[in-house]
Amino acid sequence: MSVQPTPTDEPGGGAGAFLGQVISGAALLVLLTLHMIAQHFVLPEGLRDYASVIEWVANPIVVVLELSFLAFVTWHALLGLRAIVFDYGFSPSTERWITRTFVVIGVVTVVYGTWLMYAIVSAA
Amino acid sequence: MSGQRPAAPVATAGPVERRRGWTGWFDPRGRRLGGWAFALNRLTGLGLVAYLYLHLGVLFLLSQGPDGWDAFVDVALSPPILVMDVVLIFGMLLHGLNGIRVGLVGYGMVATRQGALFVGLMIIGAIVLLAATLRVFA
Amino acid sequence: MAEPQTTPTRPVRFRVHRRKAGDSGGRYDSFEVQLDEQRTVLDGLVAIRKEQDPSLTFRHSCFHASCGTCGMRVNGADVLACVTKVADLGPTVTVEPLANIPLVSDLVVDMGAFYGPFSRAGRPLLRESELVPGSQRAEGIDVLTRYEDCIECGICVSACPLTGSDPRYAGPAALCAAGRVIEEPRDADRLAALRFADGSHGVWRCHVAYECTGACPSNADPGAHIMRLRRAATADRFRRWFGVGRAAR
Repeated sequence: MSVQPTPTDEPGGGAGAFLGQVISGAALLVLLTLHMIAQHFVLPEGLRDYASVIEWVANPIVVVLELSFLAFVTWHALLGLRAIVFDYGFSPSTERWITRTFVVIGVVTVVYGTWLMYAIVSAA
Repeated sequence: MSGQRPAAPVATAGPVERRRGWTGWFDPRGRRLGGWAFALNRLTGLGLVAYLYLHLGVLFLLSQGPDGWDAFVDVALSPPILVMDVVLIFGMLLHGLNGIRVGLVGYGMVATRQGALFVGLMIIGAIVLLAATLRVFA
Repeated sequence: MAEPQTTPTRPVRFRVHRRKAGDSGGRYDSFEVQLDEQRTVLDGLVAIRKEQDPSLTFRHSCFHASCGTCGMRVNGADVLACVTKVADLGPTVTVEPLANIPLVSDLVVDMGAFYGPFSRAGRPLLRESELVPGSQRAEGIDVLTRYEDCIECGICVSACPLTGSDPRYAGPAALCAAGRVIEEPRDADRLAALRFADGSHGVWRCHVAYECTGACPSNADPGAHIMRLRRAATADRFRRWFGVGRAAR
């Protein structure tokens, strides 16, 4: 008996998303650890007051690290949400619309975060 | 013998779908270690996404000057919020450390030892959570 | 003369899922059965059918975890009823059909639906088995066949949290079968099996819960097969893109 296999999807479908989760997840392990230590654990009060935040973001390395954190955490979060939604078995065309929706949400999130950082740095 | 056989019951419908449905992934009955890891990873993931957007919303106060932010800091350092911080750190640790398991096992590494890997990572997580809790309430 | 030894029995309450073709919904019927501590859930179901309700339908054959026909959900766990002792289950035993596979009647599911993705995996269900040197075939038997590894009970499909929501997911049993082709092709098309598995409704839909592996009564380990398939698919992609790594074929 020989049966030709019918692929479950286009070859490699889903592989890129999983790789994206692994890469962004690995980046978050580093960036989230740095964020938590710098923003919370090295401070006596555990949280920066306004003056301390303004002083902190004057350092361009901090700005780069926090914006990288924002980009990776948004990527990871929305890719994860998309995976949960995809588990409910939609048609390929609906899946494409879901992906586009998450891309728009992701872009809006990163633009908002970048504007916020710009506003805070400007105050500094 | 008449050759007449009794009429068999007539089936009026074929097999019926009986899937667990959209909440089936969280059915706790009969769940094993990997299943709990999956369910908790998903729950903490959903919680962390909600927190991400809450956090970004609160940070908006920083664009409005010192008054709003410093008032928020006073509230954020109150004991009930600190307890929520510990819950948040628990979620981060569980999701992050289990993510190491998913990343490794998901590419075929230690594919037959995922349970032991999960237990090992959770022991590390428990130690870090204990240290973080002590720091939060110090 | 010594008294004949009798094993003490206790009453066990069974809550059994019932639904016949054409019924608008399912219900649970309760039965009480006297069973000793060595008896299994399958023994209880056989007793119910024999003594209380001949219309109860369920599948079974070997009574020793070899045929895979009595897979069902007992108190929420996906098990073979023939090796699940009632003594381990408490006073009430709730018996339901396997989840995620269409229901035919009471506890019987449509195994045709279960076998569908197996064919798509390009792996014949039956493979020729090698004869042990010196052994003899029974009269009239030209070719020996066997189910290898997997006993095709459907328990992994029922236990999988993903198969429950995504009907397009190939499921752990079929992916495990594809994994066996990769592992031991025996003239099967290895690359085609990999192409079958390497999709968003194939190995990449799995979330590494390993419920399939935990529930499998024959240690086929579908979870590890799925993860090895991912590695093979990734290595194959690297080979095609960058010309490095081992060929999948």
